Amino acid sequence: MITAAVQRIDRSARQLAPFLSSVILVMFSALPVYLPGYGQVAVDVGLMTVFYWAIYRPDLFPVIAAFVLGLWQDILVGSPIGLHALILLLANWAIVSQRTFFQGKSFAVIWWCFSLVALASALVSWILVCALNTTLVSPMAVLSQAALTVGIFPFMAWFLARAQHAIVRPPDE
Amino acid sequence: MRHRAESFAKVAVPVKALLNRFALLFLILAAFAIMLLGKADTLVVERARSGVIDVVAPVMDALSRPIATVSDGVDRANRFFSVYEENAQIREQNARLLEWQSAALALAAENSAFRKMLNFVPERGASFAAARVIGDSGGVFVRSVLINAGTIEGIEKGDAVVNGDGLIGRVAEAGRRAGRVLLVSDLNSRIPVVAEKSRVRAILAGDNSPVLKLAFLPPNARLEVGDRIVTSGHGGVFPAGLPVGQITSVADGLIRVQPFADFYRLEYVRIITEFPGEVAGQIVPSSARPSRQR
Repeated sequence: MITAAVQRIDRSARQLAPFLSSVILVMFSALPVYLPGYGQVAVDVGLMTVFYWAIYRPDLFPVIAAFVLGLWQDILVGSPIGLHALILLLANWAIVSQRTFFQGKSFAVIWWCFSLVALASALVSWILVCALNTTLVSPMAVLSQAALTVGIFPFMAWFLARAQHAIVRPPDE
Repeated sequence: MRHRAESFAKVAVPVKALLNRFALLFLILAAFAIMLLGKADTLVVERARSGVIDVVAPVMDALSRPIATVSDGVDRANRFFSVYEENAQIREQNARLLEWQSAALALAAENSAFRKMLNFVPERGASFAAARVIGDSGGVFVRSVLINAGTIEGIEKGDAVVNGDGLIGRVAEAGRRAGRVLLVSDLNSRIPVVAEKSRVRAILAGDNSPVLKLAFLPPNARLEVGDRIVTSGHGGVFPAGLPVGQITSVADGLIRVQPFADFYRLEYVRIITEFPGEVAGQIVPSSARPSRQR
């Protein structure tokens, strides 16, 4: 009886791991790093985690998780509230709907797809920010952020893959 | 039994899919609604933001300390190699400052003599609160930082934030224990300023780039590269005379100002909670505010 309860808690904790780890990673990304110019092009950690989990374990990362993670990112980072919520939501939906395409594809293909998603999210957020501020903002910052995020993605993916094997485990277990 | 389960699945699966699709649509609409609410500067959104930040602040405070220590260590190691040149520089500067000190002392004596003659009533001094920067804006569209001080320390929304170099920004959200400072370089930052020498008034606007620009200048304003820009104190939101920056270029009506403060290395800041001449508790008309509210 007790072991069954423990097992259940253990399982739900493992199932929550993708979301909770994303929440913590986004918080880390909001810490000051004292690097000149970094604040302007800080890596979009939320997008990376949402992309990864949407491909490998969409069952553990529903749209609502992407939405809440986006709000969390907006509050910590100070961006217009709702901006990342919308972008992560759309990214999650776009990837999950194309899930069959990603099955069995090499990492290079996935990386290429991530760069497309990062570019699309950069454009959408640029348009939204221009609309919200009713001025034309320079798109350079958002494009360099996208480039940096794409460059960092393999490391993040490697880290998340290790986390997935160690904590989350395959779905049939 | 199996047949029943199958028929249940036949109904349940499409219903679930429909719900999922509906959830996506609903969440997209919710995101837009939240964006508009946030844009309209709604109290609910602001409370929610500062509430969340209040809860996270202690954690981020603790996490940011080791990073600051490492950064300080690297800095110290770097400085070790330039000790000799820096020492020479500091000696030279010290000699210059000693001259200034004697000039200041003479002026202070003169000033107090004049004040005595005029029966001048001195103004109350300003009061400050100190805070540590615990979060950077990792966003590409905002220039703001999180600080570990809030209304408990007497901080209010709109207070000016400075460090040793000059003005940094103003408090955009004040929670109980933490707050967000909108930097002067942010797109939404508008500060009434005056050129220190020529006394030309203008509005200093940020555009998310490291340099600021002067707007709303009088038509025949004469400004030169190197002029210091200080806050004018108009609107009573900021104290007058806080150093902000220096003009770096004047070209075709576009005047660029380099801020004195280095926004990349903000670690400790001071918040001016009270100052003589503050328009306290008054609703400032939006045109007189130092910056547009988000």
